[in-house]
Amino acid sequence: MLDTEATLEIQQLVAEFKPGNADLLRALHKVHHRYGYIPKESMAVVARQLRLSEAHVYGTVTFYSELRLTPPPRTRIDWCSGPACRIKGGEYVRTALESVLEIGMEQNTPDDKLGLHLAQCNGTCDFAPQIWVGGKVVGPLSAADTIKLARELKEQA
Amino acid sequence: MNAAYTELRVQADTVWQAVAKPQRPLVRVPIATCSLPRGASETLDALKSAVADRGLDVDVGIIGETGLCWLEPLVEVRRPDGSAILYQKVTPENVEQLIEEALAQDGVCADLAFAVAAGDDVDGILRLSDLDFWAMQERRLLARCGVIDPDNIDHYIATGGYSGLASALAMSQEELIKTVQESTLRGRSGSNFPTGTKWEFLRGKEREPKYLICNADEGDPGAWVNRILMESDPHAVIEGMVIAAHATGATYGYIYLRDEYPLAIDRMEKAIEQARERGLLGENVLGSDVTLDLTVWRGAGSYVCGEESGLLASLDDERGMPRIRPPFPADSGVFAQPTNVNNVESYADVTLMLEKGMEFYQSVGTEANSGTKLFSVSGHIQRVGVVELPFGFPLRELYHAADPAPWQERRTLKAVQAGAALAGILPAHIALKLPLEPEAFREQEVIMGGGGIVFIDDSACIVDLNVMFSWFLEDESCGRCTTCHGGTQRMSEIFLRIARGEGRQDDYGKMAILGQTLQWSNCVHGSASPTIMLRSAEHFREEIDEHINNRRCPAQVCRGLVRYEITGESEALPDAAAICPTEAIVQADDAWSIDQARCIKCNACRDIAPDAVQVVDISAEPVPATAT
Ligand SMILES: Cc1cc2nc3c(=O)[nH]c(=O)nc-3n(C[C@H](O)[C@H](O)[C@H](O)COP(=O)(O)O)c2cc1C
Ligand code: SF4
Ligand code: SF4
Ligand code: FES
Ligand code: FES
Repeated sequence: MLDTEATLEIQQLVAEFKPGNADLLRALHKVHHRYGYIPKESMAVVARQLRLSEAHVYGTVTFYSELRLTPPPRTRIDWCSGPACRIKGGEYVRTALESVLEIGMEQNTPDDKLGLHLAQCNGTCDFAPQIWVGGKVVGPLSAADTIKLARELKEQA
Repeated sequence: MNAAYTELRVQADTVWQAVAKPQRPLVRVPIATCSLPRGASETLDALKSAVADRGLDVDVGIIGETGLCWLEPLVEVRRPDGSAILYQKVTPENVEQLIEEALAQDGVCADLAFAVAAGDDVDGILRLSDLDFWAMQERRLLARCGVIDPDNIDHYIATGGYSGLASALAMSQEELIKTVQESTLRGRSGSNFPTGTKWEFLRGKEREPKYLICNADEGDPGAWVNRILMESDPHAVIEGMVIAAHATGATYGYIYLRDEYPLAIDRMEKAIEQARERGLLGENVLGSDVTLDLTVWRGAGSYVCGEESGLLASLDDERGMPRIRPPFPADSGVFAQPTNVNNVESYADVTLMLEKGMEFYQSVGTEANSGTKLFSVSGHIQRVGVVELPFGFPLRELYHAADPAPWQERRTLKAVQAGAALAGILPAHIALKLPLEPEAFREQEVIMGGGGIVFIDDSACIVDLNVMFSWFLEDESCGRCTTCHGGTQRMSEIFLRIARGEGRQDDYGKMAILGQTLQWSNCVHGSASPTIMLRSAEHFREEIDEHINNRRCPAQVCRGLVRYEITGESEALPDAAAICPTEAIVQADDAWSIDQARCIKCNACRDIAPDAVQVVDISAEPVPATAT
């Protein structure tokens, strides 16, 4: 593999990790934290560092829903798919988000300013139905609230 | 008593005095996942700057969570006279009032006061011990939650923390394991497996090193009982793991913590660091020959990584796919070494048992299940929160405490869903008769589970709930077994079809076959996945039949079976038309109507104009346009 500037940077980033040391996900987290996603080149670097095949690393990345292979949006909107949110109108919130932003879950708007992510309940169910905008809980939301918020976010973006 | 421990305790007691016997008023804010969204850290900042700017003679600190989630941010004001008052929903917007009335002067801010936690009664303010939601509890694991600063190890030690470890170190491995066995403690994840027996397996293994895993993946949607412990009393978990290290000879441990809990990760890491500094982790813990070090290991969003062999695969640099057993973890766990996996609450329970002694531990609960269990309650209730109840506590009483006064639009409780996606669902009339104990749930062919309980009223639809849970199970299946990944897909398809109005009577037969087929799965994710489907078909047959036979969703939730229509007049209709994301609300000749081809049934127009917009059954006669 040719070492470009980018791969050198990733090499440094994961230099502390060792094969057979429960380090694969830790290395991937570190890459993800740095870039906001797992760039394609990084999988080869991580594979080499941990003496795993690239296919193994790719297989692992795709297994976990919190790791992504494409650049993140500037502001990510996480939609809670949990039960308390569902029974209080979470599906309306989802429909509202998807139709105003014209994208589905795990997609970004064409300008990468906003994106949707299907998230799991973290026990802030008192806010149900809720979303997280850039990591901050917003809720309880009616469909109408959601549409207003999504339109505002779209305009700001 | 252990000399090293005694020394730690002396120092800790001094630090704790500032809280236990404050020399001046002390105001504390819970900083936690449930309070932060309502601005708890801004509230804290406002308090700090008010104290600095006005030169108030007041101390400011933080605490963890009480479990009274619906009141967050719940601010506590303690005074030198021993009184403590809790204020509710102290947000950045109203914190000034609290400062003005309760801190700038020696008074009570009546508008925000929620309850008197300690000291003399205050006119017109509830005593916390009179609140049913509080009084019914047996707060043991939660004793320090909302009381100590979770980032302060001295607070933990001064309130009895690590004394359980000191007692355990004075016991032999055999005695210690026997104690845990006799306590009746069984895995609090919902596994229900005797903890002492598991430890005995690991102790018997000769191959070293041995490992301990704390399962902090808490993937069950609607459960956050592990989170409250880790965020509010992290050392209780660490202490339990050190006790387990002594019992089993394990020397290294991983806390497998879900990525969705960043604050818990932070708190656990800080606590580990502090424990190391005090000689409570590392080599020769408290001068003994016990060695244990810990790492917090972050998951990345996968439900089956909570299944113990999936967790081990995930740690071991593989995809987190549950493994084929045997070998079991005690023979081959992390790095193929002998390993023990326990839940967060199981470890904390051991800490409690050793700190307080067996007599105390067994003084509540039932014969088969001593002690207490944490539950998080959510759904159609007014008081969303976390409680600690003795085993055998009536579920009905929990429900009444969590939803005391009638709602404005009173609806009836329809179902109770405990233990999340794998555990099942029961109609209210059966569920409310159950004591909170694994055996009682088993009898109904469901599982009590790890602590999440969702109360569901009749605004929800059973088919819709199955659509949600079966999709979750399908999405989270690791894909190893055809029965599981294919079976959960079929489940999803059946319910999606029923929700669209294309259900068939022979779907029940398909459900039964699927229920059997799924038993041939490698792990419990597959074998338990049909539970909700089967219990629904058994207990909610009428409602499902109504979808299948009459293409009608009685709760009007399934969107394939309803239409939105304008059936009345309202000045809000132009606003409803403006909110509609698909421009489906049209006005022609002064009459409003909804273009059914455009409507995506998002419900927004009904939010805006509830008097004019109605949801009707799909089969209902078309509604003529309404003139305004
Ligand atoms: C699909 C699936 C998910 C699970 N998720 C968790 C979890 O998030 N946390 C947990 O402690 N146990 C979970 N378990 C149970 C674990 O496999 C294991 O039994 C448990 O960690 C043992 O701890 P305990 O004996 O202390 O209960 C899960 C099991 C299955 C089948
Ligand atoms: S039962 Fe399901 S989750 Fe478990 S190993 Fe098989 S496919 Fe994976
Ligand atoms: S339900 Fe939503 S899409 Fe349909 S008319 Fe109302 S606002 Fe428009
Ligand atoms: S269900 Fe959405 S936060 Fe719990
Ligand atoms: S206050 Fe956070 S768990 Fe409820």
